[in-house]
Amino acid sequence: MLVYLPIAEMSVDALLLLGIGFGIGWLSGLFGVGGGFLLTPILILIGIPAPVAVACGANQTLGASVSGLLAQWRRGNVDVRMGLVLLAGGFSGSALGVQLFDWMRHLGQFDLAVSILYIVVLGSVGLLMVRESVRAIIRRRRQVGPARLHPHFWMHGLPLKLRFRKSRLYISVIPPLLVGFGIGALSATMGVGGGFMLVPAMIYLLGMPTAVVIGTSLFQVVFVSANVTLLLAAQTGSVDIVLTLLLLLGGVAGAQFGAAMGTRLRGEETRALLGLLVLAVAASLLWGLVTTPASQFAIGPIPT
Amino acid sequence: MKALRPLLALGLALCLTTPATAQPALPMPPPPAPVAPALGAPVAARPPLVAELSQPRVEITTGFSGTDVLVFGATERLLGPSGDDVLVVVQSSPEPMVVRRKTRVLGFWINGASARFRQVPGFYLVAGTRSLRTMLPPEERQAKRLGLDNLPLQASGTQDPAFREALLRLKQDARLWYEDEALMQVSGARLFRARIPLPATTDTGDYQVSVLLVRDGRVVARQELVFRVVRVGAAARIADVATEQPVLYGLICVLLAAFAGWLGSVLFRRG
Repeated sequence: MLVYLPIAEMSVDALLLLGIGFGIGWLSGLFGVGGGFLLTPILILIGIPAPVAVACGANQTLGASVSGLLAQWRRGNVDVRMGLVLLAGGFSGSALGVQLFDWMRHLGQFDLAVSILYIVVLGSVGLLMVRESVRAIIRRRRQVGPARLHPHFWMHGLPLKLRFRKSRLYISVIPPLLVGFGIGALSATMGVGGGFMLVPAMIYLLGMPTAVVIGTSLFQVVFVSANVTLLLAAQTGSVDIVLTLLLLLGGVAGAQFGAAMGTRLRGEETRALLGLLVLAVAASLLWGLVTTPASQFAIGPIPT
Repeated sequence: MKALRPLLALGLALCLTTPATAQPALPMPPPPAPVAPALGAPVAARPPLVAELSQPRVEITTGFSGTDVLVFGATERLLGPSGDDVLVVVQSSPEPMVVRRKTRVLGFWINGASARFRQVPGFYLVAGTRSLRTMLPPEERQAKRLGLDNLPLQASGTQDPAFREALLRLKQDARLWYEDEALMQVSGARLFRARIPLPATTDTGDYQVSVLLVRDGRVVARQELVFRVVRVGAAARIADVATEQPVLYGLICVLLAAFAGWLGSVLFRRG
């Protein structure tokens, strides 16, 4: 069943979009991430123009994260104060990111920039995740007890300290602001919520307890992706609501199956699998850049 | 297709009623060639060419996946190898396009040199009862800008002809440009019908359709028709809001996505 996408100006099989949405939702339920990092490359792969794919990635991430956030909120797993600090960084970061988005579109290098960003970010995050989770699995096998509470290093000497009660932290606001800023900028240019980067950053960089990490990252992702959607819609007009809603329709169903399955897997194993998945996406994007294209030429409209 | 039938029937009926007067003149060309209706009044009653479109409007709805528009009509004289030829040219409004060449830098394929074409028709189709090359001499084709080779494509930036060729090839691959006599069908040596296959990616706006009657390597009559491709219903409203009120549209997108997420969490809440 073909459906016409009014902003992308093309027809796509609705069942294909529902299927992609379901698959992404399943993975995001399984791993507790928004899935934007997978969605945007897949949309580009099926022929959606890259700017539309990025904008819809952000919009879909918003919808997918709302249901997750609500579930976490009910359990009281959201550190609102930390979330607001991250958000302050996130908003300024995404404002910059949207300018970058527009600038790259005018240069005609948007597709390339998106691909390279994805390869670098996904490649490094994936490697870190796999390394960390493999170590954790080995540690568990050797029956060694859990590592001590977060170690103290230079970051903890920074000024402007604030107490984050739910996270049981007393740290400077500068690191969370920077983390929020960086992820906000990336989410505007890559169409991701940034959950897959935020979660490790919160655990390893900020030293937050795992219980509140997922809820708080979802809090930040919801607002940042809402902001990115709004900014992209206003500045580039590349958000396709029909595409987003079809993806979400499949996504909310898939997320439930994924979440049910996720409870049966161990934390380290889930993280190792997610890391491998992230690496696989990076590798396939790299492959696409390196192989000789079918046509040496590409045509496109001149961006206004 | 269903909507076409009465129109086709009408065209057929028109064609079948005229031969009563026209047929005697067929074996030999009539002495006062009715090329220009300048001389006598009775000539005006028998136009050399009549053409019509199957529909004046193509509507892009949410379920749009491309459609066919038909140009059909009849000629006064016989069509065929020794007779007249009909040529249909369809063109949508031109738009600027950029053609980029991918170049290899440090092992990566990136967008390199580019050529900007100011006037590129989004959709272009030439369909004749014969191939354009055998129908009209090169000078005539060039003067009237007929056929893909004679499109007025002026590039700024790189002047390499490879860019123009790439544009021609990619547009044809995308099924947006055609030069194909297989799209034209003739029945009864008098009734012609050209199919205009519009893909799902086709532009909105006015499409100019020129129907040319060709005799002895010259265009002797022409008829101009136009049809319009418009977005209707939800697709139109979404595109309108997105371009005219982008901030409102963004807000709607945010709220709808959030609502869908909330709905999902309510519907599938366990326990």
